Amino acid sequence: MIRFILVQNRQGKTRLEKWYTSYSDSERQKLKASVHRTVASRDQKHQSNFVEFHNHRIVYRRYAGLFFCFCIDTNDNELSLLEAIHLFVEVLDAYHGNVCELDLVFNFYWVYGVLDEMFLAGEIQETSRRVVLSRMDELGALE
Amino acid sequence: MFEKTLTDLIQGLRANKRNEAEYIQRSLSEIQREVQLSDMHQKSVAVDKINYLHMLGYDMNWANFNVVEVMASPRFGEKRSGYLAAMQSFHQDTDVLMLTTNLIRKDLASANVMEVSVALDGLAQVATHELAQDLFDDVLAVMGHTRPYIRKKALVCACRLVGRYAEGLPEFVPLLKDRLDDPDPTVVAAAVSVVCELARTDPRSYLSLAPKLYRLLTTSANNWMLIKIVKLFAWLTPIEPRLAKKLHAPLSHLVSTTTAMSLLYECINTAVAGDIIDVQLPATDSVGREIDFAELCARKLEQFYESRDHNLRYVGLVTLAQLQARRPELVAAHYNTVMRCLDDPDMSIRMRAIEAISGMATRKTLVATVKRLMSQLVLSNTVALQPDSRAELNVESEMSDLPLINAAGASLVSAQGTIVPPKSDNTSDVADNPEYRLAAIDAIINMCSRQSYANMTDFEWYVATLADLVYIAGVDVGQRLSERLLDVTVRVRQVRAFSIKMARRLLSDSCLVDRATSDGTNSPVLATSAYIMGEYCALQPSSAEDIGLLLPPRLCKLSDEQQAVFVQAAMKVYANWLKDVSGYWNPEIWELVRSVTSSTQHTLSSIFMGVSTCAALPLQVASRLRMFAEILKTVSMATSNMGDTAPPVCAELQSLFSAYELNPVSAAAQGKVPVPEDLDLDTYIGEPIPDTMHKVMPPPSPPAPRRQSSAKDPFILPSVDDIPMVALQLDTPVHAHKPRKSKKKSRRKPKPRSPSPPPAPVDIADDEDIVSK
Repeated sequence: MIRFILVQNRQGKTRLEKWYTSYSDSERQKLKASVHRTVASRDQKHQSNFVEFHNHRIVYRRYAGLFFCFCIDTNDNELSLLEAIHLFVEVLDAYHGNVCELDLVFNFYWVYGVLDEMFLAGEIQETSRRVVLSRMDELGALE
Repeated sequence: MFEKTLTDLIQGLRANKRNEAEYIQRSLSEIQREVQLSDMHQKSVAVDKINYLHMLGYDMNWANFNVVEVMASPRFGEKRSGYLAAMQSFHQDTDVLMLTTNLIRKDLASANVMEVSVALDGLAQVATHELAQDLFDDVLAVMGHTRPYIRKKALVCACRLVGRYAEGLPEFVPLLKDRLDDPDPTVVAAAVSVVCELARTDPRSYLSLAPKLYRLLTTSANNWMLIKIVKLFAWLTPIEPRLAKKLHAPLSHLVSTTTAMSLLYECINTAVAGDIIDVQLPATDSVGREIDFAELCARKLEQFYESRDHNLRYVGLVTLAQLQARRPELVAAHYNTVMRCLDDPDMSIRMRAIEAISGMATRKTLVATVKRLMSQLVLSNTVALQPDSRAELNVESEMSDLPLINAAGASLVSAQGTIVPPKSDNTSDVADNPEYRLAAIDAIINMCSRQSYANMTDFEWYVATLADLVYIAGVDVGQRLSERLLDVTVRVRQVRAFSIKMARRLLSDSCLVDRATSDGTNSPVLATSAYIMGEYCALQPSSAEDIGLLLPPRLCKLSDEQQAVFVQAAMKVYANWLKDVSGYWNPEIWELVRSVTSSTQHTLSSIFMGVSTCAALPLQVASRLRMFAEILKTVSMATSNMGDTAPPVCAELQSLFSAYELNPVSAAAQGKVPVPEDLDLDTYIGEPIPDTMHKVMPPPSPPAPRRQSSAKDPFILPSVDDIPMVALQLDTPVHAHKPRKSKKKSRRKPKPRSPSPPPAPVDIADDEDIVSK
């Protein structure tokens, strides 16, 4: 089960956060800070994308200046999550056309929409890019 | 009024980078105004802005009610803003959640698919126990929706609700099982995910789904779903071993044919965790040859951790550690690869490698493995202690090629007293990490002491290693090291002499002793060294300097137990030395004895004097010091005159401490001691004190058997013991009982007032019946 999803930039600012377990606000702040510390200090070339974190794991991937971090239980399959992250970014890219950090900042509610389409309650829900994109078009038409 | 849209807010933020806080304060006050307006559109824009600021860390609890208002908006765009804000900021104890129950219910029943979906999303995120309870049925109803999109969401949402409201589970499970047969593959995949999640805590109830899942396993091509199914089977197989045989065929097929690394990894994981590799059927590998399934898994795993991709290496090592626990012979061939992984710059990989390696240790490989780990610990030694009295902390000396432990297996540190780090690469950052160091030291200790030292060939090397670890550990493992040191010294006779040498070396290192007061310098080891020196001093010819070692000037700065150990050991060593020395008595020896005795007395008295400067002497230390002082006084009196032979006290003193050897005692030993037959724990040793007798004494017999016996025997009155037992003549006529009846009645009247155990009323009723006939 995915515990939480964080998208942070290199300075540690959170661009997207989604919590699938209940933490209080102060715990959330602490977690965000410590995730940033753990992930930002790792060397991409020589280290794996999986990191032990308290007694869970973080699967993360760096795209330009953003870290996409998913915190999962230890018995989950990390490789599949890595693929899921990539899928998510591809969907964002396909919808926006060359998405960059600024797009995420200005259209954050819409990014959450995509996130909710693909992940629900801590599980991967939808893995077809085509389906997600058609859904987003429908939603856009409604607004 | 010119209200700012979200975009304006963000642009403003970016423009005002320098005075961000003020800008936000200004915007917050504007938003506070906007959110009170009645226009829903403006309200929803305000809520969006608040949401954004929340992401930056500003609290938005003051707007909770407004968020709910926006959620209730009929327009979809606004509704979505409201739900999003709710999902981001509502907690389990947000009070406005109660207001949302009907709102969500209405949305769930709406005709607009999008509204239903956003409601499901929101509910899954914020559900509390009450909300889950109230809305459970609605969500279950939605699970039968015509659109598969909604069905899938409802499934997953219901799974979340069950987490909050566990009583709903029995209703939910049959519906869930139906969904596995759903025509739409996404719904099936979602159902599998949910089953996987639920089965984690309770696999047995989902065992009945095994046939369906098996069919899905063999027919589906959706890798994501396959991963989940395989993982699910990993949990089911331990409780249903016949599954292992059935799963063998599809799993081996997957393992040999799939190109997806994640699926391969999951299959191997399941095969190992579910013991499927133990099934004796052969599998076919990619070339078509028949090969043992376990072999196949091991070979595929090799692909993982020999790849250049660090991710694959990491997951490969995790599985390797598990495989190693079950089939060590398969893994033994990969020893070299795993050793290479020990040098990986990634700490998670290293930790996994340590796990795997420590399981793989055998006699031949033990020394090499430990050497490797120790060299890593030495390399980045910013906190290590030098074994000489050089107080340098930084090992910036020139790198040379000397290995840490030379070919003879003896440690270089203890032999020569210097640490010479070998040539290093950039591994210093990982080895600096205290967690890693702890893990490495634990692994070393584990490997060596496993199964009562089954893997050890050279115990002296082991003791030397332990001593080295004191210097290079860098983390506080003093307790562990001292336990290990003691353990090996007590259990293995042959190594005791060497241990004493090591102990002496550790104690004579003034740098170590001086530092012993601060934490993290492994000071328990010193106490253990002192103990060893004292206990086994008979094995070594002791010298008078040892006594001085054991009574260092900083003694009172150590902890209480350590001080006591030191003093006791000093006594033992003194006695032993005295005995040795009295073997060849001559005037020089006499002088020596006198001088040592007086200097020791001097040291003791200075410790007593020094009480005022450091904390008061603890009781056990004080008592031992006194005893030592008395012994010394006795000896000095006995040797006050030079005699031809040693006074007998010198030779006899040692027998105080050497009556019998202390052996290790097992934890269950106490239970095996037979209880002596005449042991009676219940009788009083002396006269019982009258006032407390009634409170202390337990009731003479337990109520249950009493109930039986009193059912048969109406004579027994359970409550107060001083009522005499009168035999009832049941066949004499009633009138003869009348005076007794009144006596009994008068006695029985007080009874309800006194606390009587339950049988009493029953008895009394019975008797009354009999008597009143």
